[in-house]
Amino acid sequence: MERETAMKSASFVSHADLPGLLVRLAEKAELWVPAPEDTAPHRVTFKPFQAGMAIDVQRLPVSSAKKLLFPQGEELLRFRTDKSASDAAMETVLSEKTTEARPTILFGCRPCDARGFVVFDRAFLQGPSVDPYYKARRDINLVVSMVCPGPDAACFCGAVGSHPADTQGSDVQMIPVSGGFVLHALTDKGQELMENLASAPSQAQEQEARQVWESVRRSVENVASLKDSARHFPKRFADTAFWRFHTERCLSCGVCTFLCPTCYCFTITDETDGVQGQRLRSWDACMFHHFTQEASGHNPRPTKAERFRNRVGHKFSYFLEKHGQFACCGCGRCLRHCPVSMDIRAIVQAMGETEEVHD
Amino acid sequence: MNTLKTLVESIWDQVDMVLGWHPGYDPLRPVPAFVRDRKDIASLIWNPLCAPNLSVYLAKSFKTPAHGEKKIGILAKGCDSRSLTALIQEGLVDRHRLLIIGLPCPGTVDPEAVKSARTQSGPITGVSFGDGWVELMCSDGVERLPLDQVLARRCQRCRHPHPVLYDVLLEDAMPRPVPKDPFAHVLALEEQPLEARRAFWLKELERCLRCYACRNACPLCVCQDQCLAESRTPKWVTQKDTVADKFLFHMIHTLHLAGRCTECGECERVCPMKIPIGLLKEKTAQIAMELWNYESGTDPVARPPLLSYDASVTGL
Repeated sequence: MERETAMKSASFVSHADLPGLLVRLAEKAELWVPAPEDTAPHRVTFKPFQAGMAIDVQRLPVSSAKKLLFPQGEELLRFRTDKSASDAAMETVLSEKTTEARPTILFGCRPCDARGFVVFDRAFLQGPSVDPYYKARRDINLVVSMVCPGPDAACFCGAVGSHPADTQGSDVQMIPVSGGFVLHALTDKGQELMENLASAPSQAQEQEARQVWESVRRSVENVASLKDSARHFPKRFADTAFWRFHTERCLSCGVCTFLCPTCYCFTITDETDGVQGQRLRSWDACMFHHFTQEASGHNPRPTKAERFRNRVGHKFSYFLEKHGQFACCGCGRCLRHCPVSMDIRAIVQAMGETEEVHD
Repeated sequence: MNTLKTLVESIWDQVDMVLGWHPGYDPLRPVPAFVRDRKDIASLIWNPLCAPNLSVYLAKSFKTPAHGEKKIGILAKGCDSRSLTALIQEGLVDRHRLLIIGLPCPGTVDPEAVKSARTQSGPITGVSFGDGWVELMCSDGVERLPLDQVLARRCQRCRHPHPVLYDVLLEDAMPRPVPKDPFAHVLALEEQPLEARRAFWLKELERCLRCYACRNACPLCVCQDQCLAESRTPKWVTQKDTVADKFLFHMIHTLHLAGRCTECGECERVCPMKIPIGLLKEKTAQIAMELWNYESGTDPVARPPLLSYDASVTGL
């Protein structure tokens, strides 16, 4: 288990004061909250906050909140082909993207969603190069998570080095107590927000919050970690029969990657319209055939077996080796919304189940 | 009266493999099973939660038979049997390679509808079925819901709950009665003014992630890795995530299935954003019936009307 972020200060917000708090937050930044869909209230998604709207912090939103910091389609630059001023030739004029990143607050996500951004940070900010588009948004983003109100059968944060009260990736953490929430500021950004927003909790409230936090944390104590099985990946790599067997029902669609809070792969395309166009960065998915399609026609991952193997390898082996943690926060969306319930946990477990490696 | 297990046992010698369903991680979600070992027959299940249409794997994974291969056994509900028939009609699957185990279908349950209808909140640990009801077991106790309340939309409008094509038939199930107007959902939408329909589709399609689950789960979307949605040379559609681009993809998907779609509703079932995308295909099925009196996937020797192009005919 990783170290928890130490609490800097605490506040209390009653249920009655919560709508007012949200209105004040919405004045500071673009505020995103988990809200039920009007036609299907049992389905919750992250939506921009509007005064008076219903919010639901009890159910896990269908998709992650990653689009706040990593939009599905993002214009990097525009181009236009014009007559050259100096000679008769045509020249392409590029203009960099000028839109400013807006400050955002993600309110009421679960710890798994907050932890997803920790994986993003390693890939986009802490690698050999810094991604300026992500950084611009991340620098002025604030995450207010709530300790998890309860897992379902697809959840597995406890198996990937996290837990339902994890503080990693959150600037402020909310803990439900009687009558409202105790808020813990965990970072300087979080502290800044808290200073002018709410009142200090009573000693009893703070004590209750600590008890709730501790009991939520301990709720996954008996969940077996995937670490032991994950280390078998290199040995399993060439075991074609293993990957074929375990991926046979996969449909090779992008549900798992697009809903995942830690999947950050993208493609870059030029979308032209006549003499002008835009260079677009958009979400891509390693489950798609085109993901590794080379210009020569060769595809190093021609079938779903190689593609799914890569997904497992990236999340549970390569990323771990490079950054010391899984590229998975255990939110379970990949399994919960998969058309055929592909269970990545079960596959990682199976890697270590037998020493026998197929030919 | 036979049971699924005795039925599969009885045909086992003729097949290399049986495509069926077995339990998944969640009692509400059985998953496709590829049974190659006789002892695994015991793990096969059949109940209204066995939603995935298994014919999706045929043209994609088992198109070319290995030399001397036996047949593929496949469990097929009414809608699944229509998909199989359409694949046979289009020459994408050889009828003689299949041993179809027909399942008269009481209708499949939509797990989302269960979530919405149930009053308890604890995790569901078991599910059982009776005549017209489904019973959920959870830590809070047992809750019984009427089957009609939790049926998938595709099943509420199903015209062929009884398999249209099979080699052996499971006898112990009663198919669901056929509804009066299978196109009632399309009609209800069509009765609205143009602006309201436009607003409806903009709102629904705005949620689309372009994950292509609808395409990949479709038994008749057989272009797969060559799909024009992702083709770069030539480039037909953009990677933009505007609703117009999403709409374009879904229109292409729909038109490529016009006169072919067997209304199995898998596109809608697998959509993580729950967009009622099946409505578009239902409209084309309705047009095919009105225009050509043609219902796809009901006659293995019928020629699909849009597959009648003959290159030798000149002077068009």
